[in-house]
Amino acid sequence: MSRPAFAGAAAEPMLELQGVSHSYHARRANFERGLHRVLDDVSLRIHRGETLGILGRNGAGKTTLLRLLAGVLAPRAGTVWRRPGASCSLLTLGLGFQPQLSGRDNALLSAMLQGATRRQAQAFLGEIRDFSELGPSFEEPVATYSAGMRSRLGFSTAIMTRVDILLIDEVLSVGDAAFRKKARAVMEDRLTGDQTVVLVSHQEDQVAALCDTAAWIDGGRIRAHGAAGDVLGAYGAGATD
Amino acid sequence: MTFRHYFTLVDTMARMALKADAARFFFGYLWWVLEPLLYVAVFYVVFEVVLGNKRPDFLVFLMCGKLTFIWFSKSVNQASRSIVASKGLIGKVDVPKSLFPLATIQEGLYKQASVFLLLFIVLWFKGYGVSPGWAWLIPVVLVNYLMIVGLSLFGAFLVCLAFDFSMLISLGMIFLLFTSGIFWDVRGLADPAMTEAVLVLNPVAFIIDAYRQVLMEGAAPDLAHLAAVAAGAAALVAAGVLLLRRTSRFLALKAITA
Repeated sequence: MSRPAFAGAAAEPMLELQGVSHSYHARRANFERGLHRVLDDVSLRIHRGETLGILGRNGAGKTTLLRLLAGVLAPRAGTVWRRPGASCSLLTLGLGFQPQLSGRDNALLSAMLQGATRRQAQAFLGEIRDFSELGPSFEEPVATYSAGMRSRLGFSTAIMTRVDILLIDEVLSVGDAAFRKKARAVMEDRLTGDQTVVLVSHQEDQVAALCDTAAWIDGGRIRAHGAAGDVLGAYGAGATD
Repeated sequence: MTFRHYFTLVDTMARMALKADAARFFFGYLWWVLEPLLYVAVFYVVFEVVLGNKRPDFLVFLMCGKLTFIWFSKSVNQASRSIVASKGLIGKVDVPKSLFPLATIQEGLYKQASVFLLLFIVLWFKGYGVSPGWAWLIPVVLVNYLMIVGLSLFGAFLVCLAFDFSMLISLGMIFLLFTSGIFWDVRGLADPAMTEAVLVLNPVAFIIDAYRQVLMEGAAPDLAHLAAVAAGAAALVAAGVLLLRRTSRFLALKAITA
C-alpha cells in the first residue's frame, strides 16, 4: 500500500481512524437477526485541507465509515479521533431533513445543529438560498422537493456554513448538469482552502478531478490508500478482474 | 454544546414543528384547543348526558382533569417516539439525543399555554373567580412538567431499544386515563383509605386532584405530597438525561437500523 502523496501530509491531522471495526445486528423479520460486518480493522488519517475520495462498491461500508468519522456512530472496536472543536457535517441523500419543514427552516436547523448560533445560522440563509437555486421553493416544505432539489439544499447548506470537515456521501452525482458543474467548481475552490473533505463517490472521474488522495474499500477492508491517481488505477484494474 | 445553545435549539425545533403542524391543517392553530375540547365534549356526553352525573359542576370538573391529562399523555406519547422519528437527522449529526424529546415536549407546552387560557376563561364564566390561591398553579404545573420530561426521556430510550415499547406506552396512558380520576372524583370514593391509596400510588391522580384543589377550591395542594412527587420527578429527569448521554451513539445505531 502506498503512502499518501498529498502535498499537505505534514499539515495537522483532522481525523484519524485506528484499527476500526464495525458490525451491527440487522433485524430482518420478527425475532430474526443477522450480523453485518461492515468494517474490519480500518486505519486512516486525514489532514487539514485534504480531499480524500472513498471508492468502493455498494455495501462496501462507505456510508458507515462516514458516520463513524462524523461521530454519529461509535465503532465496535478501535478508535475514531476528530480534532477537538472542529465542526463537521455529513451530507447524505434523502435523509437528514424534516420533510414537513420548509427548505429555509431545514437549512437553519442544520446550521444550528452543526454548532452555529441562531444569529449566525440566519446570516447564512441568504447565501444558501441563492446557491441552491431553489427560488420560491426555499419556503416550501422539503416533502415537496425532488431528489435533486433536496441534494442541492443539503449541499448548499453544508458548503455555505463553512464547516471544518465536510463528509459527502454521493450527493454530487445528483442534480442537473449545471448544478453539478457549479458544485464541482466550488469544491475545487475549497481545495485550496482549509476545508477538509471526505468524498464518497461511484464516479471515478469525480474522484480524479477533486481528490488529492483516495482509499479503496472492499469487503470492509482498505484495499489501497494513497495518491488519488494510484488508487484509481488499482481500483480500475480490480473492477475488471 | 453549551446550555444556551441547547435550549435555543429546543425552542427553535419546537417552534418549527408548531409552524409546520399548523400549515398542514385547514384549521391550523385552532386545533390546539379544538382537539382537547372535542375530547372533553365526548366525555361530557358520555358521563353527563348518557350516564347522568350527579356533580353540578361536572363540566368544569372534567375540564380541569381532562385538559391537563391530555397535555401529559400526548407529550409522553409523542416525545417517546421522537428519537426514532428523527432518525434522518440522527444519522447525520452527533447531537444530544435528549434534544428530540425535549423539543417535542416544548411544542406541547406552547400548545398547552393556549389550552390553559381557555380553561381559565371557562372557569371565570362559571363563576370560579381568580383568587390568590391560583398562585399554587405555578408549582403544580412545574411538577407536572417534570413528570412529563422524566417519563419521556425513559420512554424515548425504550422506544429506541424496541419500537414495541411505544405500544406499551400508549396503552399505559389509556390505563392512566381510567385510573387517575379524570372523569370520577378521587375524593368521592366511598372508602377514604382507597382515596389515600390512589393518590399515593398514582402521582398522575395526585396532580389532577391538585389542579382541582387550586382551581376549583382555591386551596393549596398537599405540599408535602407535592414536594415528594417533585423530588421523584426531578430524580427521574436527572437519571434520564444521564442515560441518554451515556447511550447517545448506541441510540443512534438503534434509531438508524430500526
